[in-house]
Amino acid sequence: MRTEAVVSAIKESAATHAPLRVAGRSTWLDAGRPVRADKTLSLHDDSGVVSYVPGDLTLTVRAGTSLSEIERVTGEHDQWLPLDPYGSGEGTIGATIATASAGPLASSFGLPRDLLLGLEFVNGRGDVVRGGGKVVKNVAGFDLSRLLTGAWGTLGVITEVTLRLYAAPAVDRTFAVVLDGSEREMASLIRGIITSPLAPYALLLLNSSAARAVGLGEQPVCLIRFGGNDPVVRAQINGLSQIARPEETETAVWVRVRQLDGNAHTTIRVVSLPQRFLAASARILSEDVPGIHTCIDPRRGVLRLNVGAEGEDGDGGISAIGASQDLHKNGADASDVIFEKLPAEVWREVSPSVVSDDLSRGIKRAFDPHHILNPGILGD
Amino acid sequence: MTQPTPASTPAHPSLAQSPVAERLAEIVGARHVLNRPSELLVYNSDGLPGYRRQPKLAVFPGTREETIAVVRLLADEGLPFVPRGAGTGLSGGALADDIVVVGLHRLKKIISLDIENRRATVEPGVVNLRLNKFVAPHGLLYAPDPSSEAACTIGGNVAENAGGPHCLKYGVTLNHVLAMTVLLPSGDVVELGSKLGERDGYDLRGAFIGSEGCFGLALDITVKLTPRPQTVRTLLADFMSVDAAAHVTSAIIASGIVPAALEFMDGPTIRVVEDSIYAAGYPRDAEAILLIELDGLEAGVSADLEAVRRICLDGGARNVKVARDDAERMKLWQGRKKAFGAMGRLAPHLIVQDAVIPRTRLPEILDTIHRISEKYGVVVCNVFHAGDGNLHPNIAYSADDPAESERVHKAMTEIMQACIDAGGSITGEHGVGLDKMGYMESIFSESSLNAMCELRGVFDPERRSNPGKVVPIHACKEWNAVSGDRLRMAAGVSEPRPLEADPPRPSAQ
Repeated sequence: MRTEAVVSAIKESAATHAPLRVAGRSTWLDAGRPVRADKTLSLHDDSGVVSYVPGDLTLTVRAGTSLSEIERVTGEHDQWLPLDPYGSGEGTIGATIATASAGPLASSFGLPRDLLLGLEFVNGRGDVVRGGGKVVKNVAGFDLSRLLTGAWGTLGVITEVTLRLYAAPAVDRTFAVVLDGSEREMASLIRGIITSPLAPYALLLLNSSAARAVGLGEQPVCLIRFGGNDPVVRAQINGLSQIARPEETETAVWVRVRQLDGNAHTTIRVVSLPQRFLAASARILSEDVPGIHTCIDPRRGVLRLNVGAEGEDGDGGISAIGASQDLHKNGADASDVIFEKLPAEVWREVSPSVVSDDLSRGIKRAFDPHHILNPGILGD
Repeated sequence: MTQPTPASTPAHPSLAQSPVAERLAEIVGARHVLNRPSELLVYNSDGLPGYRRQPKLAVFPGTREETIAVVRLLADEGLPFVPRGAGTGLSGGALADDIVVVGLHRLKKIISLDIENRRATVEPGVVNLRLNKFVAPHGLLYAPDPSSEAACTIGGNVAENAGGPHCLKYGVTLNHVLAMTVLLPSGDVVELGSKLGERDGYDLRGAFIGSEGCFGLALDITVKLTPRPQTVRTLLADFMSVDAAAHVTSAIIASGIVPAALEFMDGPTIRVVEDSIYAAGYPRDAEAILLIELDGLEAGVSADLEAVRRICLDGGARNVKVARDDAERMKLWQGRKKAFGAMGRLAPHLIVQDAVIPRTRLPEILDTIHRISEKYGVVVCNVFHAGDGNLHPNIAYSADDPAESERVHKAMTEIMQACIDAGGSITGEHGVGLDKMGYMESIFSESSLNAMCELRGVFDPERRSNPGKVVPIHACKEWNAVSGDRLRMAAGVSEPRPLEADPPRPSAQ
């Protein structure tokens, strides 16, 4: 499928008032969102590199290209796209941008919006539109790239993206620090690590259920990834060893962390100020709810709860919502709850429209006047 | 509402002495409304000499409430306006052609500073450097550092999505703004983004940043602050050829090291700086210098410093000098940051470009620029953010000499075309404004420009906020005849007038 095929599918859909569900590979981020569409427009076979000049550290690919394919292509030139959203590597870059999905590397390398240089999309009238460009710095025109990022395909179908790459680190090592002892000891250890002058690529706190699921034992852990040249990694390992007892673990553990979502029927992201997580994380981690995976990225100010990955029934979703509301009450009052994935029947009850303000509705009308692109996916 | 002015007479012939001026004065105080042509002269240009537009009236609200009242009054009257910060922009974006300037420099409160969570909320008129000085004692910095940092405002930075030398590593304004309270041209107040950093729904904050005043104005801005790096090292490498310095730039980027900054200055720029009060001790006989800054954890920086020094020497650098202390670093930076100002020594007018090219194309494009400058007999001073591929080929000239002006503009058009042909962008950080509007159609298709018009139409359905900028009006399919007429009546213009310094459209050949 090329852009022209997307154009004709959208034009046909507009003419027949038949809404489209827009999908990447459909293997990922099946978030259970209530889309009112009978037809699916899938971009999974529109994949491949459009242009890649390694010396420029930029890459243009078709939207259906999988993240693992991007990893392979850039890896051949010792480069990488430091974007590790939760889910499988078979997910597409188009879906990653459309859903603004990010993972543990985001606290160092930024969110998808920060790595995106430009894109091509087809709006709800079938017009091919480009925003941004292919160079690393660009302020020409109004920013359509940011507008489409996280719009869940409701403003246009992304067909091509250009991304900023980085050199793969010469050294990339991961360590686990077991968070045992009392809640107080745990809190002081977490604070010690986070306020030290370390600059890890990723830092994630896992509760014991999550730690067990990724094969890191029965205790809550702090997972830390150091990257860069050899001296900077060694200096940081030394620094960490002075405040904790780090155990090296394989870098592949991050793949398992990303797949924690895999079987969950409910994923909830709580966003708050970093300090609030710093204050609350020891308590959250020590109050382990069996079967609920909790991962906290205190630097990014994000907590994710996965429910149902170990096969509980649908009530888990409700209990997780309860747990996140508890967090709301307990010290994280300046927080937002973002539902990433819910059982389909629960969506309408718990998640209001996130595009109900005048500006969002105006933009939706302008870009998808026939309301045919993923209607309902944002609660609209 | 006032009676519509008949279309046959100039719009608002008496705006300057009109009830509108009086009512604005009631809101902000008479001394904060300027309406005499002589007083308004100061506001007839921005940082880019060569464009002059005389505003009809300028109003300077001193508080958030006054700003809202001013914009609501203008909305009720259907009057177009131009939000303006410090007027340091380099694209003619803050010019008001016979309409109202809403100057925001009096809104300069730092509203809150949250040291632990590393964020600050400021009013739009807060000067960039002032914010940096304010947070420095806490070991923090606000990363975007335009060269005009000593004067430019955070509100203006948001409007332009401003960059600066250190954006190579740290990113531009877009990457550092979390949330804003925005005053729409209608007078409505909306919250965009989230102080928590992430939220569901459309990224309206992302859409607003870089909208060049066309979507309204920010009443407050919440920015992310960055911890000061443990170690900062600054190198000066000098070269006897531009080509060698360009190849070294590409080689550093390709090596994967991300310097905090990687700046390029060519021979003519070096000599102009060294002749000025900003002399930084650059070698006058060099044909190019690279100013390279590395920062981060000490161990990593030392290793990268060695690697960069090696790349420079292998690539033909004559000397690589490392600044010994902060004072020396500051001096090296002073020359770079004031280079545009120093060019004022050469001639009264300066044409500034801001194109971006893929970084591997740097040697070839610099060679092309050199050939174009010889062809037209003009002196191009290249001083730019090499690490980002963000060029600033500048030509000092006298706009009073028509023959020289013509040669200069032809040369610049050819340079821009070469950058576009290399797959680049027409502007990396200065914005489109008036100056680069003529090039928009050479990088965006009709439907892309139309989508931009539609986006703007949502924020500003009457196109009253900074009219006639960024996207050429004729590119807007949905240009609404009714609101268009209303705007024309109000502004007294039909299409943007031909500009004296307007770059000619790139020819098709």
